[in-house]
Amino acid sequence: MQQILSAQAKEGMILAKDVMTPEDRVLCGKDTVLTNAVIDRLAKMDIMHITVQGHPVKVQGEKTLKEELRDIEARFSKVTKVPPLMYIKKKLMQKMIASRGK
Amino acid sequence: MEDQKKQKFKAALREAKNLPTLPGIVNKLTKMADDPETTTEQMGKVISKDHILAAKLLKLVNSAFYGFPQRISSLSSAIILLGFNVVKSLIISASIFEVMEDQDVELWEHSLGCAVVCSVIAKRLGVSEPEEVSTAGLIHDIGKVAIKMELAAEYKQINKMMLKDNISMQQAELAILGLDHAEAGGWLTKNWNLPNKLIEPVSCHHDPRKAKDEQLNSAIIHFSDLLIRGMGYGHAGDDKVPMLSKRAWQLLDLSPEDLDEIIDEVEENLWDVKGFSLEIKGESGDGEMESGEL
Repeated sequence: MQQILSAQAKEGMILAKDVMTPEDRVLCGKDTVLTNAVIDRLAKMDIMHITVQGHPVKVQGEKTLKEELRDIEARFSKVTKVPPLMYIKKKLMQKMIASRGK
Repeated sequence: MEDQKKQKFKAALREAKNLPTLPGIVNKLTKMADDPETTTEQMGKVISKDHILAAKLLKLVNSAFYGFPQRISSLSSAIILLGFNVVKSLIISASIFEVMEDQDVELWEHSLGCAVVCSVIAKRLGVSEPEEVSTAGLIHDIGKVAIKMELAAEYKQINKMMLKDNISMQQAELAILGLDHAEAGGWLTKNWNLPNKLIEPVSCHHDPRKAKDEQLNSAIIHFSDLLIRGMGYGHAGDDKVPMLSKRAWQLLDLSPEDLDEIIDEVEENLWDVKGFSLEIKGESGDGEMESGEL
């Protein structure tokens, strides 16, 4: 899941969250595959951000998957003997890998 | 000697000269809340006289860590939904965090993230007033802001020592000041006449065993602080996940499935607070406003 600017939207990306109007109405539902028509509509409605599946947009200065995993490891380095926290660490790493999967 | 030093630091933190003064409005509202004749509309009107504060409050109330299904557009409904104590703490948070946000965006993000986790866990455990728990999460590190503002020279020493000796901020605070930010946060919240439901979780968030009446709420703040650090959201001074209190873990009694769901839900909600900021100066014009409404 990645939050991107509507200007970065491309055909074929899939919405991971509903796009809401400022009046809190659903403009475009989760799982919608973006087409140029949909992208035009987002621009017309002044929608600034959307959340899409996977991690399609490369952000400058963003950490690589390897760096992210190393950081998680470091954050948990003082609690390696605490089973619940190690469980959380494993889960966070799996999620990180899955989020960069696409 | 050590004791004298601690007394000196304690006095400086207690006076809290450099922290923004609590808006006079808090005293006025406290008096009003004690009067059974007062209506929430009247209280809403008092708050809405300060346009900027009113706008900030509504923004906080509508943020993802309370997670109300509908948008709350009036201050009187906020007081009804959240209770006066929470609204009062939010007024205090809004004024303190204004300083914090300018000085330390990452600590502010850590606090917001912690409030999000608190909300998810409190609701899952069926705690009676989840909004109070989120609010305690939001202000749990307020003592760090106080130390930074009141004891700037010692704060620098703390940071140096933390890096040099590879210890936590709390350990460095104890070594240099003889007290830690949790204790300082406890005094501050007490001075502001916040209820014990908020004071204890703030002052016991590193060791929930110390809490007398609010062990479960303190345990939720303790674990939320750990989890949000683990997730790497914001920055609380040092970036290591600290030790998990056994007592807290027993009280929370979470299964691996609970943890999976909590992490998923927190991640989802963090998207909504990402970039959430109290900075709304641009939005709050000087135009006339309907009292009690925005």
